[in-house]
Amino acid sequence: MSDPGSAPSRRGFLGWFLGTSVGAMCASILYPVARYISPPEVPEAQTSRVVAGKVGELKPNEGKIFRFGNLPGLLIRTEDGGYRAVSATCTHLNCTVQFRGDLKQIRCACHNGYYDLTGKNVSGPPPRPLDQFQVNVAGDDIVVSKT
Amino acid sequence: MRNSRLLLRSAPGWWLLLAVPAVVLLALLGAVHAAAAEPQHLAPGGPRPLETSCVSCHAQLDDALLEPTRHTGDDIHFLKGLSCHDCHGGNPAAGADGDPEAAHDRKLGWTGKPVRGQVPAFCARCHADAAFMKRFNPHTRIDQYSEYRTSVHGRRNAEGDERAAVCVDCHGVHSIRAVSDPRSPVYPTRVAETCGTCHADENRMRHYSLATTQYAEYRKSVHARALYEGGDTSAPTCNDCHGSHGAVPPGVENVAAVCGSCHGREATLFRETEAKLKLDLTPCIQCMVCHGNHAVSPPTDGMVGVGADSTCTGCHVEEDKGYKAAVRMADSIHGLVERLREASDRLDLAERAGVEVGPDRFALQEARDQLVEARVLVHSFDLERFLIAAQKGIAAADAGVAAGKRAAAELRTRRAGLGLSLVIIVAVIIALALKVREVDRKPAT
Amino acid sequence: MSPATPGPVPRLMAWIEERTGLSVLGELARKKRVPRHRHTFWYYLGGMTLFLFGIQVGTGILLLLYYRPSASEAFESVQFIMTRVPFGWLIRSIHSWSANLLVLAAFVHMFSVFFLKAYRKPRELTWLSGALLLFLMLAFGFSGYLLPWNTLAFFATQVGTQVAGAVPLVGPFMLRLLRGGDQVTGGTLTRFYGMHVAVLPALATVLVGAHLLLVQKHGMSVPPAVEKRRSESGGAPLSMPFFPNFLLRDLIGWVAALGILAALAALFPWELGTKADPFAPAPAGIRPEWYFAWMFQTLKLLPSHILGLEGEMLGVLGFGAGALMLLLVPFLDRAGEAPGRWDRLLLACGWAVVAFMAVMTLIVYLPAEG
Repeated sequence: MSDPGSAPSRRGFLGWFLGTSVGAMCASILYPVARYISPPEVPEAQTSRVVAGKVGELKPNEGKIFRFGNLPGLLIRTEDGGYRAVSATCTHLNCTVQFRGDLKQIRCACHNGYYDLTGKNVSGPPPRPLDQFQVNVAGDDIVVSKT
Repeated sequence: MRNSRLLLRSAPGWWLLLAVPAVVLLALLGAVHAAAAEPQHLAPGGPRPLETSCVSCHAQLDDALLEPTRHTGDDIHFLKGLSCHDCHGGNPAAGADGDPEAAHDRKLGWTGKPVRGQVPAFCARCHADAAFMKRFNPHTRIDQYSEYRTSVHGRRNAEGDERAAVCVDCHGVHSIRAVSDPRSPVYPTRVAETCGTCHADENRMRHYSLATTQYAEYRKSVHARALYEGGDTSAPTCNDCHGSHGAVPPGVENVAAVCGSCHGREATLFRETEAKLKLDLTPCIQCMVCHGNHAVSPPTDGMVGVGADSTCTGCHVEEDKGYKAAVRMADSIHGLVERLREASDRLDLAERAGVEVGPDRFALQEARDQLVEARVLVHSFDLERFLIAAQKGIAAADAGVAAGKRAAAELRTRRAGLGLSLVIIVAVIIALALKVREVDRKPAT
Repeated sequence: MSPATPGPVPRLMAWIEERTGLSVLGELARKKRVPRHRHTFWYYLGGMTLFLFGIQVGTGILLLLYYRPSASEAFESVQFIMTRVPFGWLIRSIHSWSANLLVLAAFVHMFSVFFLKAYRKPRELTWLSGALLLFLMLAFGFSGYLLPWNTLAFFATQVGTQVAGAVPLVGPFMLRLLRGGDQVTGGTLTRFYGMHVAVLPALATVLVGAHLLLVQKHGMSVPPAVEKRRSESGGAPLSMPFFPNFLLRDLIGWVAALGILAALAALFPWELGTKADPFAPAPAGIRPEWYFAWMFQTLKLLPSHILGLEGEMLGVLGFGAGALMLLLVPFLDRAGEAPGRWDRLLLACGWAVVAFMAVMTLIVYLPAEG
């Protein structure tokens, strides 16, 4: 410190150190921001609509479970080739219901509850129908939306 | 007889119950039918029943003779437009003219209070008359009386047992309400209590050498919990298993059919195994051997296997085939439950730390469904079939565990990033501090 | 201007200078000096508050890229930000954490200015703009809390707006105005959103500008106690240049704050909770943001009726009076007229308020652990 000759080099080092570290800090701020503003894989939050499957994935008289938010939905292809979608949570005790092609009904195996293909409770303990969703075919996608 | 029993069991209980007041109604109407010339006002829309002289006179009497007039506002018969004389006969017009003797003329069909043993027939005069009942409700049932005749209550009644239950014991007398009315003694949440008034009474049951513990046991059962605490009126109460008007104890051979009306998968699997093995399993493994009857408790995983709570070891002895199968089933279920818990815990942990696990949590639902399936498949007593579901579930749960580990890895990456940026920030702070020292040393100009 | 220096950058600078005269600012910065004494530390809090406000503006703008202000989508869009957008968790957590630190810094700034008596003539308007800014920050906090549309925020907002309804005469109108109807609904959300991202920022921009301008104009205030001691000892007042000495120190604080924010966001990401369901019963333990907790607790402890008046109404009136007193602090301090007694009274009031807020806040948070 008392040596005046070392002052310029120390100042040089300090300048370098300050520049580098501030530069690194800016980079560590800008990197997340740049990643944040670049478009994410899925462009928007899926809220009231979701792609439940692809056209051709289901044969007539088949059903599949899909994810709608955090709850399961049931997509059914009817015998005439049309699509229907209902909530797959049984209205009795929240078991997941399934499509029974042989009976052409939706069934909850937990307590033998039956619903028809529109989700109406037909027999057994379910106290009310399953929620119905709207189905649209957009290109190759089967889009289910809450009405 | 057998047909009607089956009908009883397959029909949802509430439906039967709903029909009961209608039957009583029919019977009351039938009384008029039988005893007097058909009154013209019996179709809905006739003169208002409260205006009859029966009500106006009895309202000034005491005690038992006054009591019926208190219920003219809540009894379904009154609400449907019927009045006292439609069941009890008599001539209210004469009463209105100030002649009580003429009003109570037995020749004009006045019956007075029916004898207790005659009550079912009294009610059935209307309630078993299809043409009559359909005036009030085209869907109403009219088989309650014939069912009653098949029941133990009805058979005893026919034998002249005055103590045997008749219509009014369950439905009440002059304040009969629709079964859908929560104040009705036969509304689902009140059925057990109503049956219990006799069946839990030692004095009454002593005569028949019947146990009186059913009501207390039922109140402890999983069914009662669903009904009273869960408010699920579809949960079974007495009549859902025993029938309403045709109340009988289910025979041993019918227990599975009774339980199977709601627990259909279990019953089907049970029957399939029976058929496959060409065995009659009925006497040794009916539902109640493992699950009990009135006090049926929520099933536990411990019931499968050979542990302390095992229900298998009641019949299977060590090293027989069933014993070995029980051990494997128990191991699989416990393995699946354990993995599910682990996966769920890991995902919870990651979620609390801010990592998205929604899709993984959803995928875990598959493992839960397979666990339910495996638990159901225990009732096939078919190890291979059971193992298919159990292994699917274990695979799904393992995937959940793996997802939890991935989420934890993501969390570690975040922390590493934080560590790196903190190092940089500390460096900047040091550099700035050095710079401050430098500029401070410069003399102020 | 000098023909010997034709570099492109200086030429551009000169061109700009000729048209704007901005060098005045540089001149001001160079001349500006910050007094040095044992209370200098408190001078950094204003800068810290400003820095955190800047963070809020930056992260707030980033959040706007993905946020959707409607009852059906708000929660999902925040969830989307937290889970699907790269570093979305970081941006949102920093926004939430920084909001809290900002309110904290603003409160500490306010109290330090109060106790150091920096509001004295000619700085009355500086104090006034600062106090208004504090209210604005609270309004930012209150409106922003609802935006994720989660259960806790929904019910906290219901309670918070209910309090506004207790104001005499205009209460019911204010409640409807705040909620955009009789109930907290999606309409309330849109309203709060508009407040949070348009109305409040516009007001804040004006007030922050005015506040900074006034600070710049009057320089830093030296506490009277320090001044007195110095005049007694007869020493020359110590000071340091604002640029770069003070600003560099400011920067150290800001960078440290950035580090703390990053650590908080990474280690304790702001929770999202569950989506608000207007028809669900209120969950146990609804509680406003911590900086409103003391008011919440006060209202809870007030008896339902005091002297025949509604307790809650009196409480709300009390807070209103308190806010007014806060604004009027510079005019209440009449040290010139009666030195000593007024001084001590005002200081005692200040400490009483601090103690009251601390105790009420503690009451809210301590039993939760027991």
